[in-house]
Amino acid sequence: MAIKASMKIIVVDDMGTMRKIIKNMLTQMGFTNITEADDGFTAWPLVEEAQKNGDPFGFIISDWNMPKLSGIDFLKKVRATPELKDTPFLMVTAEAEQGNIVIAVQAGVSNFIVKPFSAQVFKEKIDKIFNK
Amino acid sequence: MSMLNDPSMKEIVMDFCSESEQLFPQLTSALEQVEENLSEKKFFEQFGQIIDRIMGAAKSIGAEEIGLFCELGKVIAYKASRIDDQKLLGVVAAVLFDTVDLLTKMINQIKDGGDHSLDGLDTKTFSTRLKWLSEKFKEIEKKEAAKVTAEASAVAAPASGDSLKQNDIDALMASLGL
Repeated sequence: MAIKASMKIIVVDDMGTMRKIIKNMLTQMGFTNITEADDGFTAWPLVEEAQKNGDPFGFIISDWNMPKLSGIDFLKKVRATPELKDTPFLMVTAEAEQGNIVIAVQAGVSNFIVKPFSAQVFKEKIDKIFNK
Repeated sequence: MSMLNDPSMKEIVMDFCSESEQLFPQLTSALEQVEENLSEKKFFEQFGQIIDRIMGAAKSIGAEEIGLFCELGKVIAYKASRIDDQKLLGVVAAVLFDTVDLLTKMINQIKDGGDHSLDGLDTKTFSTRLKWLSEKFKEIEKKEAAKVTAEASAVAAPASGDSLKQNDIDALMASLGL
């Protein structure tokens, strides 16, 4: 799958600091079309609406631990929508437990990244997702 | 260079301080609920979830010491949510109150003068207290582990509750076909 700089990306994290860090990294990588959401709960309508408008997000980056709608529940909602079942979904987490990873893989996550991460590791993850 | 010392990242660092300050009252509130009724252990879990957010951002901006305290606080809070020893729970709540207090001071220090001014805080003593508590929980876990079945102990991979590093995750993802 080719990556275009104009690809629509949504970054979902309840910490604005993390959203800014991730957005900075994406911008440095050349991406220009980045949307932010502060929870899975606020991200889901954006994702749903973009899909309905025929201009879906090409990549979802979401934190795991969020208060209203967690990353795993957000992922399940995304994957339950047939049109979004193949949308690349990168899960960001502060601490990963094996059980959680298995659950996320079963739910259809594309890959995992653990905080803190460097721009290089982040890029490698993205390349791996899109070059499968 | 960590973001704390990078002038171009000052805005992100200040945002982190501001966001953390907004979360501190939530941490305190969770502890107050526990303190009122030590059997309300779900609030320890809530504390763990909130401090986890600060932890991830702290580590990402290079505020390692804040990240460490948050990590210890999170581990202790989660473990406390799974035990019934009222005496220990009382101690945990008190130590976590102090954790929030110290984190508040550390954030203020970053706002006022950057990473180096953290040296003025007696974080080592406090870190020892947190680690002591963490060890207490390990002792409890060891006792519980003695009850684990032979089948569970035969599993070579880390137990489901163990935290994995990025390399472990990559290996696990690969073994799962990703």
